[in-house]
Amino acid sequence: MATKTINDKIKELDEKVEWFYGDDFALDKASEKYKSAINLTKEIEKDLDNLKNEITVIDKDFSTE
Amino acid sequence: MDVELTVSQFIDTCNQTLEYAYPSVVITGEVSSFKVNQNKWVFFDLKDEESSISCFMTLWDLRQPLEDGMKVKVLCSPKLTKWGKFSVTVKRIQPIGEGNIKKSFELLKKKLEKEGLFAPEKKRPLPKPISKIGVISSTQAAGYADFVKILNERWGGLEVQVCHTQVQGLIAADQIIRALNYLNERSEVDVIAIIRGGGSADDLSVFNDEALVRAIAASKIPVITGIGHEVDESLSDLAADVVASTPSNAAQMLTPDRVAMKRNLEDKIVGIRQKISSEIQLIENSIQNKNDELKRIILSKIELLENKLKSTRKILDSLNPEIILEKGYSIIRGDIDIGQNIEIETNSELIDAKVIAKRSKHGH
Repeated sequence: MATKTINDKIKELDEKVEWFYGDDFALDKASEKYKSAINLTKEIEKDLDNLKNEITVIDKDFSTE
Repeated sequence: MDVELTVSQFIDTCNQTLEYAYPSVVITGEVSSFKVNQNKWVFFDLKDEESSISCFMTLWDLRQPLEDGMKVKVLCSPKLTKWGKFSVTVKRIQPIGEGNIKKSFELLKKKLEKEGLFAPEKKRPLPKPISKIGVISSTQAAGYADFVKILNERWGGLEVQVCHTQVQGLIAADQIIRALNYLNERSEVDVIAIIRGGGSADDLSVFNDEALVRAIAASKIPVITGIGHEVDESLSDLAADVVASTPSNAAQMLTPDRVAMKRNLEDKIVGIRQKISSEIQLIENSIQNKNDELKRIILSKIELLENKLKSTRKILDSLNPEIILEKGYSIIRGDIDIGQNIEIETNSELIDAKVIAKRSKHGH
């Protein structure tokens, strides 16, 4: 299975959040859904902290044609 | 022994000597007798208080408008022509001094504006999301360091390809154009950022180079410029798709902010909590309302029964013999026949009596 990107996870979180505001909302399922949203949030926060940019200086001399 | 040469040989020798001594030289001076021949060749004199020198260049190499009286800096090589005339062949030219730069800027702006190079409808928004950024800058410049610092602070996971070029001086424009072409040919990045920190008008005038401005406008990949400070405006800015006020601002415009994103995640969770609380509150209120309703119904039933009881009690009270006796009536027990003993009960006494006579109240 391909690794989920942060954007994928944010989309997934949004879907989880939407459930709370939708017609399917049921209080007896809310606790479980809430825990799942919290876990996903923590995962995204961790991903955000671990994100590093890859900066490469191109090995080319632009002073000549 | 004297060297004997033909005229052509002598001129060639002089040119070799000049080329060896001055392969490339930068001269500053004031433009005079500026003219363009056959829409191809540019001739002018470069002079100072005491001297003057003839200059020649192609129109293609003239990348910022010139006028007589402008002070300029030229990158050139000296040459003796076959007619024995000494001149310099100009490769690059740049106006110097704020007034001259401004004048050249306005002339070129007008020309390019007419061609529609700065038309708002040509501007493309920054792609979203951005994962690959091409950066054109000097990796030694403070502006580049600011850009990278903000980029790393705000976001990660980006692939940044940096083309190291000069960002000031007579040859900088060509380097930036080559880097632009290189990134466009490779077509690997989502956006190209041209980055240069603050500097004098002379330093920044490279970004008013006509060929560079055209290359930016023609870029297949959207271009963002982060050149100088907020107050600086270059023709490169006008040609770019998006203009950032500074290199740091360019980094801000290219990236989401992870701190803001974390805050946003927190807001989502707070929203969920509030939603759950409000649902619980709704249910609690509903239960409370039902309880209140139930209580009200029971109380009203009780009240109804109490009232009924009171009224029955009243009826019963009205029928109570004791109450009747209190009103002065009495009860007679026994046969009401003449000569019969009877008992009379009043409110306070029991009286034994004998019937001595009886008659009808209605005269019978």
